[in-house]
Amino acid sequence: MSMSPDELKNLKPDKVVDARGTSCPGPLLEAKRNIGQVPVGGVMEVLSSDATTVRNLQAWAKKVGHEYLGHIEEAGYYRIFVRRKK
Amino acid sequence: MADKMAIVVFSGSVDRLLGMSILASSAAAMDWEVDIFLQLWGVYAFKKDVMKENMNFSEFEELKDAVVKRIQELNFPMWYDILKQGKETGNIHIYACSTAAKAWNVTKDDLEMVDDLMEAGEFIEKVRDAKLSFFI
Repeated sequence: MSMSPDELKNLKPDKVVDARGTSCPGPLLEAKRNIGQVPVGGVMEVLSSDATTVRNLQAWAKKVGHEYLGHIEEAGYYRIFVRRKK
Repeated sequence: MADKMAIVVFSGSVDRLLGMSILASSAAAMDWEVDIFLQLWGVYAFKKDVMKENMNFSEFEELKDAVVKRIQELNFPMWYDILKQGKETGNIHIYACSTAAKAWNVTKDDLEMVDDLMEAGEFIEKVRDAKLSFFI
């Protein structure tokens, strides 16, 4: 279940992946490359300039068995939060 | 068992190879197993002495310069870098048609990222369970 923006803002991510300035498949490949550095149960935050990344990482988390926690829209970019589940 | 994607790459045009590399790398990131079979021009485009020099476009040739300029402005990676990243982090195997390899007089070692030479029948059996298949 997605978290509220306030809950997301209070999260302390174990890893922040800055994929701003890249286009598909950049943010997805960076998410895949970095999730292994997050402990199981920990949170990865992915930054992307593209709104479409939100749905893409949602689909990715569902497919590979992680938990999509939600996203926050900032000026010109998106903060997307995923919890590593396995 | 992982979902499986099969891609047959006949073309050596960079616009098509870009589309192929985005699909293959995204699928690999989503834990799909991706098997790629290179045929004639596909094998040529994976030659070590061709891969980075090749700027052949298959469509809208007159727009090529503008497209290349825009891609550079966006700092978009080249198709082979996208595929390489997908292969490093996911399950992508690339096989070159043995007949095409003979046509170009190359071995596996003359080709970038290629795991092995293969004949069509073996590839067809290998991907018989693929949920998605593409011919580029």
